[in-house]
Amino acid sequence: MSDAETPFSIAVPDDQLELLKQKLELTRFPDELEDAGRDYGAPLADIQRLTKYWKDVHLPKWREHEAKLNEELPQFTRDIEVDGFGTLNIHYVHQKSTVVDAVPLLFVHGWPGSFVEVRKILPLLVEASPDHPSFHVVAIGLPSYGFSQGPSKKGFKCEQYAEVSNKLMLSLGYNEYVTQGGDWGALITKRIAQLYGPKHSKAWHTNMPLAGPPQLTQSPLLFLSHHLFKYSPKERAGIDRTNWFEEKGSGYFKEQSTQPQTLGYSLADSPVGLLGWIYEKLVNWTDEYPWTEDEVLTWVSIYWFSRAGPAASIRIYYEILQGSLQGVSQNMATPIPLGHSYFPKEIAIHPRRWLKAANPTLIFESEHESGGHFAAYERPEALVGDLRKMFGRGGPAFGVVPGKTGF
Amino acid sequence: MSDTEAPFRISISDNELESLKQKLALTRFPDELEDAGRDYGAPLADIQRLTNYWKDTYLSKWKEHEAKLNEDLPQFTRDIEVDGFGTLNIHYVHKKSTVVDAVPLLFVHGWPGSFLEARKILPLLVENSPEHPSFHVVAVSLPGYGFSEAPKKKGFGSTQYAEVGHKLMLALGYNEYVTQGGDWGALITRRIAQLYGPKHSKAWHTNMPLGEAPHPTRRPWLLLTYLLFKLSPKEKAGLERTQWFQEKGIGYFKEQSTQPQTLGYSLADSPVGLLGWIYEKLVNWTDEYPWTDDEVLTWISIYWFSRAGPAASVRIYYEVNNLTPEGFARNIETPIPVGHSYFPKELAILPRSWIKAANPTLVFESEHEGGGHFAAYERPEALVGDLRKMFGKGGPAFGVVPGKTGF
Repeated sequence: MSDAETPFSIAVPDDQLELLKQKLELTRFPDELEDAGRDYGAPLADIQRLTKYWKDVHLPKWREHEAKLNEELPQFTRDIEVDGFGTLNIHYVHQKSTVVDAVPLLFVHGWPGSFVEVRKILPLLVEASPDHPSFHVVAIGLPSYGFSQGPSKKGFKCEQYAEVSNKLMLSLGYNEYVTQGGDWGALITKRIAQLYGPKHSKAWHTNMPLAGPPQLTQSPLLFLSHHLFKYSPKERAGIDRTNWFEEKGSGYFKEQSTQPQTLGYSLADSPVGLLGWIYEKLVNWTDEYPWTEDEVLTWVSIYWFSRAGPAASIRIYYEILQGSLQGVSQNMATPIPLGHSYFPKEIAIHPRRWLKAANPTLIFESEHESGGHFAAYERPEALVGDLRKMFGRGGPAFGVVPGKTGF
Repeated sequence: MSDTEAPFRISISDNELESLKQKLALTRFPDELEDAGRDYGAPLADIQRLTNYWKDTYLSKWKEHEAKLNEDLPQFTRDIEVDGFGTLNIHYVHKKSTVVDAVPLLFVHGWPGSFLEARKILPLLVENSPEHPSFHVVAVSLPGYGFSEAPKKKGFGSTQYAEVGHKLMLALGYNEYVTQGGDWGALITRRIAQLYGPKHSKAWHTNMPLGEAPHPTRRPWLLLTYLLFKLSPKEKAGLERTQWFQEKGIGYFKEQSTQPQTLGYSLADSPVGLLGWIYEKLVNWTDEYPWTDDEVLTWISIYWFSRAGPAASVRIYYEVNNLTPEGFARNIETPIPVGHSYFPKELAILPRSWIKAANPTLVFESEHEGGGHFAAYERPEALVGDLRKMFGKGGPAFGVVPGKTGF
């Protein structure tokens, strides 16, 4: 059942631009300790530079940035009914390949991401070629993100995000599809796989592979190997990175998953506060990605100008994880084929044997020498290359959507 | 050693008042989920009411509030040299009792507290009476708080805060003294006891008593008794409160102890962001204290108008967490007598046996039926009543400062 799509263009009202301008002009900065570096959080010099640029250059040119986004990303909105939550108006990017039998692919972002993360991979995915498969791409704006409405009731959990996503694909005529996701997109596409696979979701790929540490009672051999056999230097580095995240990099997680409303007052009211909060992740979670000011500020502007406001975007942490990281790595198994891409600066990097043990349907793995959490944005060719291998001729998921091989 | 003491009056400049007014006028609020209550953080209705009151009423009457503060709290500043950190100009309240031999008492606040917390206990402590001891009171503003300078270098930990408190007392001619503290004040006065007791610090009292959990190798006997004997209903409730804090109430702590600078951009730039961040604690950490809007906003204003800015105040979490990761929960023993007041809505409420085991010099205990974390502000008579019992005639710490019995 598909309806006509309602085209959408980003068109931030003038009064919102004016308010932002006034707020930026009144910015009050904190000081900083000598030689703080990045140890205490986003560095003051960076934030001051970005704030000044925002006020003096990026904001006055916002209409150009807006136009470019609208040009690159064909956007739409439609109403999706969510059981128990009424109708939500969902914003999404949708671009079909010229290849009629392209593979329908749903791309799901996370936090502090957005539909903008599809920007670089979109042209590569839809591109027609005899040498690699093509995709029809849908990049959903999750409820409360970008220009999608947010739920007004409590309890909007992973199942609901999965429901919205599946219904979006069905409403676009994609009865069978594959998914790609990182961050919350990884958990949501996993849930889609569990709830709607193999009937609708036929295969899923993630750049944030997950597994929990081996438990003695559940995986005694794995537990034993964990204590007896060494991990490779790469795996050790991965464990160190994961430990860094839990010890030093999860404060935002703890606050967002326990008191999101409290934090929300800052994120809604202060552009520099929102900038600092997000920019710290853009730096710490990427592999020395050379962010330009425009890139950072466009990214943050999506949050600042979002339909539901930035405070709504963080409620997902409370609803789904309620203060504990434990829920992230539980209940991993899915009934459909799964592909992994491994990037060394991801924020949770587990030993390969844990991942294989937790994901019995794992049929594709690809390791990279560089890249981080925002793989679609940092390493678009690498990520799309992996999808092409996974779904292409001779690949382990070739033809997984009947009649839509990508050629 | 020259005496740099200067009288101090809070006198916020018109520029600062005007800037705050402009920011308040531009406040952008988030939305809130239906029936969120207090579960998701500080409630929107409260924050909107407080913000409007701040903007429309409180701020225009600031000079009155300021004058009353200056009247209630005689304040001074003086330079204190801190090893490795140079000279810091320290702000403090100082009031002598008319009783010449009153007991010198240093009161140390925490976060999100301030010197303001001495406001209600001050007149009670200095009060002259044959029936209870009197105190000469010093309420220090910790570096980075109120109108004290903040350190510029990294590594300012509990040892340094203790050094400032101690040197201030010596500078005021109090070679021997006692202390009272909660929150960071508990940790700092404990450190003062360890570093400067019994030579200078003669006894300490805290309303945030701590102990260590029973442990199979460190405290085996305690673990055994814990497993064998049931906890009382009060102790069970206390552990539940403690658990609530560890699971739901610790997000701020995790962020402040890992990325204080990131958070600092919001706290420095957004009055409503700062209000929400602190107000949530004023409600969750107290025992249904009936805050008036004026009380809340005066409390917040001390942070907003603080000399070092609100961002500096949260660095203590990072520094102490880095230097002494075990922080509050270990190394509790001191060489001097200690007194405890137990309030049911404190954040860490441990079984009495654990507390006694960690505090071998415990000489005084007092349990209360109501009251929470900000005891000096919520239950001033109760707290002062405890100090009077502990240090008064017949009390376990009577005459602990030679020649200064309080009578």
